[in-house]
Amino acid sequence: MKTQKASFAWSVLTIVMVVSLALAACGPTPTAAPAPTEAPTAAPTPTEAPKVGTPYKIGFNSSATGTYASLGLPEAKTAEIIQGQINAAGGVVGPDGVRHDVKIIIYDDENEADKAVSNVTRLILEDEVIVVVSTTGSGTSIAHIPVCEENETACISMASAKPITTNPETGEEYKWMFKTPQTNGHAGEWQAAYLKAIGVSKVCILYTDDGYGKDCLAEFKGAAEAAGLEVVYEAGYAKTDTEFSAQVAGAEASGCEAVEIGSTPAVASLATIAVRTAMPDIPITLGHGVCNQAHIDTAGEAAEGTVFPCGKITVLDILPEDDPQKPVLEKYIEDYTAFTGGEPVSTFGGHAWDGLEMAIDALGSLNEGMTLAEQRVAVRDYLENNIKDWPGISGVFTFSPTDHNGLTKESLVFVKVVDGKWVAFPESEW
Amino acid sequence: MPRIVQSKSTRITLTVVVAIVIIVLVLFLGSQKNLQPRHYIQLTIDGVRGGSIYALMALGFVAVYSVTGIINFAQGEFVMLGAMICLTVYDLGLPLPPVIKLIVAIIAGVFLTTLIGMIIERATIYPARRSPVVTLIIITIGVTITLRAGALLVWGADPYVLPAFTTLALEDHIFRFGGITLQAQSLWIWATLVVVLVLLYFFLERTIMGKALRACAINRRAAQLMGINPSRMSLLSFVMAATLGAIGGIVLGPVTRPIYDMGLMLGLRGFVAAIMGGLVSAPGAVMGGIILGVVENIAAGVTNPTYKSVVSFIILIVILLFRPQGIIGGGERGVEE
Amino acid sequence: MKNLRQHLNVIGVVVLTVVIVALGAVEVFRPLGIRFSDLTGRIVTMDTMIRIGILTIVLVGLNLLMGYAGQISLGQAGFYALGAYASGILSTLAVRYKILIGIADSWWWPWLSIIAGMVVTGVFAYLVGKPILRLKGNYLAMATLGLGVIIYILGGQFPEITGGYDGLTGVPRLSIGSSFTLWPMERYYFLVWGVAIVVIIVALNIVNSRIGRALRAIHTSEVAANTSGVDTDSYKVQALVVSAMFASLAGSLYAHFQSAVSPNPFSFRASVELVVMAAVGGLSSIWGAPFGVGIIFVIRDLIRSRLEDIFHVRGGEYELIIYGLILVVIMIFMPEGLTTGLTKALRRTGRRTVQQLSRAGAATSDSSRTSAS
Repeated sequence: MKTQKASFAWSVLTIVMVVSLALAACGPTPTAAPAPTEAPTAAPTPTEAPKVGTPYKIGFNSSATGTYASLGLPEAKTAEIIQGQINAAGGVVGPDGVRHDVKIIIYDDENEADKAVSNVTRLILEDEVIVVVSTTGSGTSIAHIPVCEENETACISMASAKPITTNPETGEEYKWMFKTPQTNGHAGEWQAAYLKAIGVSKVCILYTDDGYGKDCLAEFKGAAEAAGLEVVYEAGYAKTDTEFSAQVAGAEASGCEAVEIGSTPAVASLATIAVRTAMPDIPITLGHGVCNQAHIDTAGEAAEGTVFPCGKITVLDILPEDDPQKPVLEKYIEDYTAFTGGEPVSTFGGHAWDGLEMAIDALGSLNEGMTLAEQRVAVRDYLENNIKDWPGISGVFTFSPTDHNGLTKESLVFVKVVDGKWVAFPESEW
Repeated sequence: MPRIVQSKSTRITLTVVVAIVIIVLVLFLGSQKNLQPRHYIQLTIDGVRGGSIYALMALGFVAVYSVTGIINFAQGEFVMLGAMICLTVYDLGLPLPPVIKLIVAIIAGVFLTTLIGMIIERATIYPARRSPVVTLIIITIGVTITLRAGALLVWGADPYVLPAFTTLALEDHIFRFGGITLQAQSLWIWATLVVVLVLLYFFLERTIMGKALRACAINRRAAQLMGINPSRMSLLSFVMAATLGAIGGIVLGPVTRPIYDMGLMLGLRGFVAAIMGGLVSAPGAVMGGIILGVVENIAAGVTNPTYKSVVSFIILIVILLFRPQGIIGGGERGVEE
Repeated sequence: MKNLRQHLNVIGVVVLTVVIVALGAVEVFRPLGIRFSDLTGRIVTMDTMIRIGILTIVLVGLNLLMGYAGQISLGQAGFYALGAYASGILSTLAVRYKILIGIADSWWWPWLSIIAGMVVTGVFAYLVGKPILRLKGNYLAMATLGLGVIIYILGGQFPEITGGYDGLTGVPRLSIGSSFTLWPMERYYFLVWGVAIVVIIVALNIVNSRIGRALRAIHTSEVAANTSGVDTDSYKVQALVVSAMFASLAGSLYAHFQSAVSPNPFSFRASVELVVMAAVGGLSSIWGAPFGVGIIFVIRDLIRSRLEDIFHVRGGEYELIIYGLILVVIMIFMPEGLTTGLTKALRRTGRRTVQQLSRAGAATSDSSRTSAS
């Protein structure tokens, strides 16, 4: 009996080892040495084809699987779309006329801090990328700040929490960290302004007890108090919670006149339902984390009449013709729908688009012959100094040494849910 | 350690005193939040609803543990599978009237989950049946991981929709009286619990198989001597656990929007409820479930709702430390092996 | 027999040290421009090696507790977290709270914090262990699970102290003296593995000592051990305290490695992963710890890099399933884990080969003096 077991174990182990060796042996290894540059001629004539220089590498890390997959997967797909586009365009051409291929190396961190740090470390040290776009979640983005700062590589995050770009101790912006989403501060300003306009004076805040939710809480509270509203009740819930009877009961008992929900779907949708069920008429505002169709579908009836700020990508049809973001938005929607076969566009994919396209613009400013360290510094400087009035998906960006997010409240549009869809809800209608 | 409280009358007095202290504390904390009586009633009603699901799950734990001595960590996943399979079948677009579709979906959910439970028992528990407890625990943990990961793969990370039974739509019918809201689905949940208990009673008391199961739970060796096949009983206990879990998940689905990882926290709470019954007492498990649901909800309501899961764990640890043989019913078995 | 095992252990330690130093040297000296990761086809990097080292420290403790003393712990990540937070909070005191400036930002303060963390965690384990270790099997598993989750949840609260869910950043790198910093990774690698090897040596000594024998006796039969006069309660608690202190040490090293501490890596899932690694590696030998960690990490990296390249699927979705399946398969067929299962299988194959050879060689009588094992 035992010998049978042992020989079975032996054979299983052999198979496993053979398979692993096979997997390790075959399959492409990532390129180690860069392609050699051609010797430059003395005076290039304008009719010659551009010289081909060393390929540029951009690192991309998102949470394409795991609990943040609904945010991270559109981001990863966007990266793939952009890779296809840049390949078709033949890469970027520097000011010295040299053409460079651009490769985007894509990793998945499953929304785990350890993996995020490992991935970004790998991108910077092993894959030797010039700039990094990472990652989907706030907690994971914060986790890899030391890697970016120590290795002096610009990292553009697709998450919105304040500590990602701002050092909480000194209040200054981290030198190497940037981020592209609209912040909870901008969202909070909109919600507070709306509530004040409809005559609310006491508000309850419900939030997810995680990095994003707590940031929502802090930012909205600040905005509400700045607008003269009183926060009479705050209650959190876990991301995986499905019952909110305690939070709703407390909210009801506190006598607030409006409820603000700072969460992302799915829990945001469930909380909306819970609040709506218990308090059918109370105004509900939410943070901009719910700007995807999945939320409205899940929340159903309960979402009717709720208001929240959203990126412009969701209300494209009501933007004025001369809005500088319009052509950018239209092209992205077209590309994304074509690539995914009809999937609805999400704001989060837009954050990825912004980061990558900025990075590509920065790469286009590099000359041939720089070392990796010089390239990284040059890209960072370009981002901080040359991204001005830059129309992206998430907004019009203007970076500066004191602002590595570059957006204002105007990057968001206030919407209301009507008949299962969101419609623009400008101030004039409040 | 705390064998101090031996005499029954001392124990009763102590329990009463503790209960009074807790009630006073609750009322005090609640008043800080302006909780009115109707809020307490609401919290209790919602608590009983959640507790009923815990009760169903606790029965599943008791079924498996009392017969095989194994704690089935995968119990929560049976709940998840029941709900997910049911809604998948419902959304298949079969050309049937909605009511029939729902019934078909429910049957499919229960049946397929039970099937999966059987496969799990035969494939993973049976081969390892002579292994030590440590190994078996790790195996069920491995099963849980696999099931949850499989669910993530098949259904993704987003929540799904199971229509409310009353309205066959997203929105449930809501009864309102005196400022209290009662969802129609809650009535379905309670009714299901009652029906399940009645059926279980008949099964265990009046059928041969049920009696064989109970015999095995009481003393496996003796049952074996009487000609009862313990491995078949083990299979049966898993079948019961899977069925109970699936039913719980399906009837809970409309309330909480099924999602691939709903099993973990539910499973934990079901376990705590089962522990209250000493893991061997069915009535204890049911009462434990309901009590846990209510206590948890009220505690969350008067303090910070963020700590809701912490409440379950604290109760768990307290019980394990002071009275692992259970508070209600239950026996001495299991603690010492 | 005992001498053989001790010799094997010594050989093992020496071999491990040599391998670690050699691999580390590749990274430090970069001969011919090769990095460490090039040796492994860019699958395993220095970052991975450091993480393996840190988790080995945790796992050695877990092995002592689960493998030798036979006590299940599904909450080991909780002790790991305590160490990480202790180091994280204490070493950032100067920066975040502006207290003890001059002391809290000197080079020796983080080292002191590591020791403080180990002491606090040890005391905590002692206080908690006494009541909890009276439970058996399943109950103990659940109690430790609950404990681990409570620590995890608490880590996300009190943002002023723990940094909440986003965690706290700015944990300084370790240095010896004010000038020699144990960073970048090539240097930190040696510290981590140095500690890991020391921990392994300590554990091997415990195992081969009186305490180890007592633990094994308890594992086999607590009743019998008790009857023989072994103070089972005391030894079990000792095992828990030692494992907690190792975990705390590892947590501190982790904090200084990531330079950031958040609750995310210490969830229930992390505790489960530790148990998986322990089970896969083998619970009945201290050597199971580094093997278990190493195997799981290599599998993970393999899945990520190769699965995605070959099948164009997102590895993350399949990783967990493969994890779960591996766990179940190994527990059914090789419950002692890979190291013990492998060595046993090897020994049996070896013995059978020897048997066949001797049968082929010897013409007539053949003493079947092979002892059953």
